[in-house]
Amino acid sequence: MRDLCAVAVAAATGAGAEYADARAVLRRSQHVSTKNGRVEQLVDTESEGIGVRVLVNGAWGFACDRRVSAAGAREAALRACAFAKAAGGHGPRALAPLEAHTGSFRTEVERDPFSVSLGAKVDECLRADEALNGPDVIVRQAAVRAQRDHKVLLSSEGTDVEHEIVECGGGIDCAASGNGVYQLRSYPSAQVGKSEQGGWEVVERLGLEREAPRVAEQASALLRADVCPAGVTTLVLDSDQAALQVHESVGHPTELDRVYGTEASYAGTSFLKPDDLGSLRYGSEHMNVTADPTTPGGLGTFAFDDEGVPAARQPIVEAGLLTGFLTSRETAARIGTGTGGSMRADGWNRMPLVRMTNLHLEPGDGSLEDLLADVDDGIYMETNKSWSIDDKRLNFQFGTQIAWEINGGKLGRMLRDATYTGITPEFWSKLDAVAGRDAWSMQGITNCGKGQPGQGAHVSHGAAPARFRDIQVGVKA
Amino acid sequence: MTRALEVARAALAATDGEAEAIAHAETSGLARFASSEVHQPTLIDNVVVTLRLVRDGRTGVASTNRVDEDGLAELARRAAEAAESTPPDPDFPGLAEPAELPSVDGYDRTTAELGPEEQARRAAEAIAAADVPVYGFFTSGLSELAIASTTGLETEQQMTDATTLVVAADNGCSGYAEATSWRAGAIDPAAVAREASEKAARTNGAKEVEPSSYAAVLEPYALADLLQYFSLDSFGALGLLEERGYFAGRLSQRVFDERISIVDDSLDSRGLPKAFDFEGSPKRRVELVTDGVARGVVWDRRTAKRAHNGTSTTGHAPPQDFADWGPLPSALSIAAGEAESTDDLVERVGDGLYITRLHYLGVVHPREGVITGMTRDGTFRIRDGKIAEPLVNLRFTVSVPEMLREVYGLTRDVSLVNASNFYGERYPYGALVPALATPRFNITGVGSAPGI
Repeated sequence: MRDLCAVAVAAATGAGAEYADARAVLRRSQHVSTKNGRVEQLVDTESEGIGVRVLVNGAWGFACDRRVSAAGAREAALRACAFAKAAGGHGPRALAPLEAHTGSFRTEVERDPFSVSLGAKVDECLRADEALNGPDVIVRQAAVRAQRDHKVLLSSEGTDVEHEIVECGGGIDCAASGNGVYQLRSYPSAQVGKSEQGGWEVVERLGLEREAPRVAEQASALLRADVCPAGVTTLVLDSDQAALQVHESVGHPTELDRVYGTEASYAGTSFLKPDDLGSLRYGSEHMNVTADPTTPGGLGTFAFDDEGVPAARQPIVEAGLLTGFLTSRETAARIGTGTGGSMRADGWNRMPLVRMTNLHLEPGDGSLEDLLADVDDGIYMETNKSWSIDDKRLNFQFGTQIAWEINGGKLGRMLRDATYTGITPEFWSKLDAVAGRDAWSMQGITNCGKGQPGQGAHVSHGAAPARFRDIQVGVKA
Repeated sequence: MTRALEVARAALAATDGEAEAIAHAETSGLARFASSEVHQPTLIDNVVVTLRLVRDGRTGVASTNRVDEDGLAELARRAAEAAESTPPDPDFPGLAEPAELPSVDGYDRTTAELGPEEQARRAAEAIAAADVPVYGFFTSGLSELAIASTTGLETEQQMTDATTLVVAADNGCSGYAEATSWRAGAIDPAAVAREASEKAARTNGAKEVEPSSYAAVLEPYALADLLQYFSLDSFGALGLLEERGYFAGRLSQRVFDERISIVDDSLDSRGLPKAFDFEGSPKRRVELVTDGVARGVVWDRRTAKRAHNGTSTTGHAPPQDFADWGPLPSALSIAAGEAESTDDLVERVGDGLYITRLHYLGVVHPREGVITGMTRDGTFRIRDGKIAEPLVNLRFTVSVPEMLREVYGLTRDVSLVNASNFYGERYPYGALVPALATPRFNITGVGSAPGI
């Protein structure tokens, strides 16, 4: 693979590129899911190829070839140069300086997930699926996944880095129905379960079968729960929903390509401006957010990003003040600070974009119970169900699968169809407590979309339960 | 013979016994621009083959883009391992038999042959035509889908598509337009850019409105987006069988205004035509809503077998990657109405909102068809039957069935609105929709001003 990348880089510079990088990627993935005791999906996928990015007279070009061969590498490089020349540009394009690095990274794996038979994966799902059986439950689902990316990146500036990244995950979901009410309950997270970098031990730690009876009972109980009332109240979020709140209202708006408008035609822009760095109050003093691609087990963990920039921990919000952006070499040069380090591409046939890595809400003190104890009247919400946020990442509305009233510092009656809404900096200004390290856990998101053509990214967020005062809940259609 | 069919045949030949090979090939270019400069031009060339093996009622699936002899032998080995790992599936209907397929349009040689220079040139045409900075892309591509099966089924289709999408935006203003066709020649990138920039020019000085229920005119861009999200739970067989969708328990009931008729029709040459689905079954025109009455949903062979009521496939089997979604529409079409134009609809509304486009939709309650999202790139107040002042982006939370319970009207003209964001392998699809005026569009929050 290294030789092929070298062929591509040489072909690109020979064709006039002032800069070129080439990424060869071999991806293997397995996805197994069951529904109501039957295998719904069992797919074993591999994909390989080389993607070449070039800069010609200040204009970017990207092309790729599925053939892992010298001919494929060379042709991709020449087509990328041709597209860059045809597209043209507005003149020279600066990249933040980068010392050429050589290095490698390999996910620490206790048990290679591809050494675990597909039959064992099916059994894992079927056991959890069966354990979801319960009154009112009409749909039971379980899923496990594994993915391995082996990639090599070479650039015309001497970067030569290699990664083998392995991730695993899984989850269970069930739906209950009765008296015209339909409710979902999931564990450990909705939509696509929870994933981490690591081997099959990640799935074993989830304990899907063990958690299934509780999930089924709650789904059934939700059918008889009252609808979350509308009003302005104290809101406590579990770490799963707090993580998604960080993702949508801190992660995306601090992507510097969005700040500069280059994502305006699809995912959107940002309410932040470059000049806000170091001066904008994002939230209360309890708000500390860090981008950390070195976190063990994170889906955004690596040694070098897809431009070859070494991984480094970086504060984004400190005591409520905006102190960092997620950057590429190009956007770092444009804003005049930083080195990049957040460029990631989805596989071999997409161009790297500024993406989140692992973005954490840093822990505070105490436990969830401590957070609840200081609430006379409020709502506790758990597990995301719906999400929407505007193109500048200001106005959001989220829904969760389950909620409880908080009365006199204790959880009260269960509530269904819970939603809350707010404006990003206003909402974060109302953060008055984050639970401590013992309550902090990392959530993995595997369906983060961006770019045209579309790319998915896998990112992690550490968060603990968090408390917000005076929040609008219970939005009605 | 297409490249895809060659690959499908080779994959089938690499295994023994009952099997089906689906090859999906893509050659495309996308010239993405921002601040009126192409910044992310991407050329993709790939072919992916998915092999499904059947062993004593058990099925296993594997896929690869390594289509040489070694790669296909490895594919067969992995698919066999998958088949041996699963229990028999009582819902498996068997591999599809050969069937007579409809003849459809959807391939244009000129579009298929557009290269990077031409793709970049068309992006440049859009950039040059706008009065304000533009953000968007021109893309064109050739997709091939081919299926070969041991049942004797062998079929192939070449599909072309092209889209120009433009957000014209500056400080405090933004507008949107797009055009999609299977013939690139039918798209004028400059006209799309002009439409977007003219809309943007009218959005300066946007005001807020109080959250409330308003009458509203939805342009085709906005209506298509709402319809696509509603369809995820309510127009597919799994949503019906699992009681998740709005149509569960409501088939044959009047659900919408009698002026609303919705079909899924991949045979319509005004859309992005398809002859068959991902198991080789012929595409059929499916009546989903006729004169306001819920008529049906789309099916594949597996869900049809599960229904146990004689239902048959409508030709909507998904690709294996999306098997857990079940069959979904890919060519939604709302029947045109009688309104002369969007101005006519604005006049009928009298007092309300004019909405160009939506952003980041989320399904809040699937069973009730409740969807939230934001308006974007051209939201206006309607006063005295005319478009009045521009508005900031608004959060809405609407029950789609409530929104369509009664309508003021739909336009005579329909537009093809692209629904693909080009994730994964390229498979062009979109919706044919008119503009619509409704008495009920629930605004639940106020967002930021338009613009960058």
